[in-house]
Amino acid sequence: MIKRLADNIVSPLGFTAQENYEAVRRMESGIGPGNDPAGTAISVAQLDPEKLEREFLRMCRPQREYTPVEKAMLLSASLAVDQAGINVSSPRTGFVLSTTKGNIHLLGMPDHGLGKDRIHLWHTAGLLSEYFGNPGDPLTISNACISGACAQIAALHMLEDGLYDQVVVTGVDMISDFIVAGFQSFKSLDAGRCRPFDARRMGLNLGEAAATIVYGKGNGKGISLINGSIRNDANHISGPSRTGEGLFRAITCVMQGIAPEEIAFINAHGTATPYNDQMEAVAFSRAGLEKTPVFSLKPHFGHTLGAAGVLESIIAMKALEEGIVLPSLGFEEPGIEGELNVSQRIGQTEKKYIIKTLSGFGGTNAALLFGKQI
Amino acid sequence: METLILDLKKQIIEALNLEDITPDDIDTNAPLFVEGLGLDSIDALELIVLMEKRYGIKLEDPGKSKEIFQSVATMADHIQKHRTK
Amino acid sequence: MKKITSYCRITDTTVILNGNNLQIPLSEGTGPGRLTGIYRFLQIAYPKFHKMDSLSKAGFLASEMVLRSLGYDTETPDGSTSLVFANSTASLENDKHFQETIKKDNYYPSPAVFVYTLPNIVTGEIAIRNKILGETSFFILESFDAEKMQIFVKWAFSHSDIQRVLCGWVEYLDNHCDVLVMMVEKENDNGLNFNIEYINKFYYIDQKWKH
Repeated sequence: MIKRLADNIVSPLGFTAQENYEAVRRMESGIGPGNDPAGTAISVAQLDPEKLEREFLRMCRPQREYTPVEKAMLLSASLAVDQAGINVSSPRTGFVLSTTKGNIHLLGMPDHGLGKDRIHLWHTAGLLSEYFGNPGDPLTISNACISGACAQIAALHMLEDGLYDQVVVTGVDMISDFIVAGFQSFKSLDAGRCRPFDARRMGLNLGEAAATIVYGKGNGKGISLINGSIRNDANHISGPSRTGEGLFRAITCVMQGIAPEEIAFINAHGTATPYNDQMEAVAFSRAGLEKTPVFSLKPHFGHTLGAAGVLESIIAMKALEEGIVLPSLGFEEPGIEGELNVSQRIGQTEKKYIIKTLSGFGGTNAALLFGKQI
Repeated sequence: METLILDLKKQIIEALNLEDITPDDIDTNAPLFVEGLGLDSIDALELIVLMEKRYGIKLEDPGKSKEIFQSVATMADHIQKHRTK
Repeated sequence: MKKITSYCRITDTTVILNGNNLQIPLSEGTGPGRLTGIYRFLQIAYPKFHKMDSLSKAGFLASEMVLRSLGYDTETPDGSTSLVFANSTASLENDKHFQETIKKDNYYPSPAVFVYTLPNIVTGEIAIRNKILGETSFFILESFDAEKMQIFVKWAFSHSDIQRVLCGWVEYLDNHCDVLVMMVEKENDNGLNFNIEYINKFYYIDQKWKH
């Protein structure tokens, strides 16, 4: 068990976790119109580059040039670290970066002049610890869309092993032609705003964000990450398993000793592709969670890839803290075979546990169990 | 049509990395998916790219794609009617 | 003590399985053709291999040799084995290929290439081939690091249902192959201790055949 000490979200909905949470509470969405590289209209959740620049300069007072991905990452980490009040340059502070593609936009800019290592994900993580004057080796995780959960699980291990006293977990990914073109080739994007679990769902929206959680050791009052599990479907490299095998196993693993009735809600992956949402419903049902309220945050933020696991966990933890169940924005008409309890309005809860799930390419699935102690 | 069918088979083999298969191995009328070549969802998407890149045919409706990609014969038929390259 | 029960090292010049240099006669130099040559030599009948990117092919081949050497069965779903890999360049080799399909004057993004623009897909391919339902993870390090490898594997064993971890370094860039895959078992009377000394020994084993 590790304790949430501080958090931050940098997204189109704001520059603090609280700002983002309140926007979600008000049913706001950061998704708006955009274009793919061929000029086709899509819906995306994009950061305003001017706002990002302004906030970044104000908070970080950079001594050198940074790419947009690096700015978002540093801004988010700085704000969270500031809130946590930890000694960030101490060797007892660790860093974990979660990202799927990092500075991939540099591939389309061969004369970028930012150095041959700039495109490497380990280099991006290195900038994080360098910025904070931290002597350690940051850890970089690139495990498709579940990376944000993997990063938190790594923090859990690091703190339980006593490698560090606190760990800064940051997830970041930004939209690029590379990523948009790829998802378009999979025909997995909805031109409009995504509708997880809905009968009319047509696919996902891409989003960009950076999100940070600072974790520390110990129990006591507050919100904690209790357990995490990663399991593979062993089915197909891009299509989810029809039996939800991997996700079911991951959920069962984290729920050891906890009954379904004790779970306040599940914040699902809920990308709104026809297969993902159905697969999650099957997995939840198999785990005895068919009556547990479920919601997806993708209609607020889009799918933020490497940031998703961190960002969505933060919102879910805030809801747990407040004692509420959030509704699943945009859900109107049930589109899932079998039983699934999609949350449609804000509800009160006194339950002490929540589950966060994620799935990704390569057959990956992750489940995180968070708990509240008053 | 014969030339088109042979060309199409070669294109399919290359686009889908069917390394150990020759055009002679592909039955023009056999199903491409489930049985026959046993292609999967990514192969289907790649065939959509092939149609546009090689033959200039844009397939927007996934539902319709299923009918077109039934076999090499149905693909060739559609290409002959709609190709712009 | 955890034990290494089998390992495979593939570099540009050697293919070594458990200390034996397989001396595979290959006409190709470095590059994807070499990987196909190894595949054919091993007489693996798995047509999906040809759809993989080079990183996945390299990791798949090394894993295949390790798993077959242990008589590992491909039919029974196995929830007690995990896959933990790392490298330095993620999927950059294949990312460059995808970038080629989205040029402004020749824009035909390829889904078959895009799906491999994630380094962890190699773990997915191995999981599918062998019905492995445990954890699959991928870490990015600046360079090969035996100590970190040991830590990642220790973490993978933290769930009591995991009995073995297939782990390693799977790196492929600019047609250069740098792969070490090891099977680490929780309990086994055979095998060698899974420690930094042996991990490094196997990583640098190809030096024996360099002149």
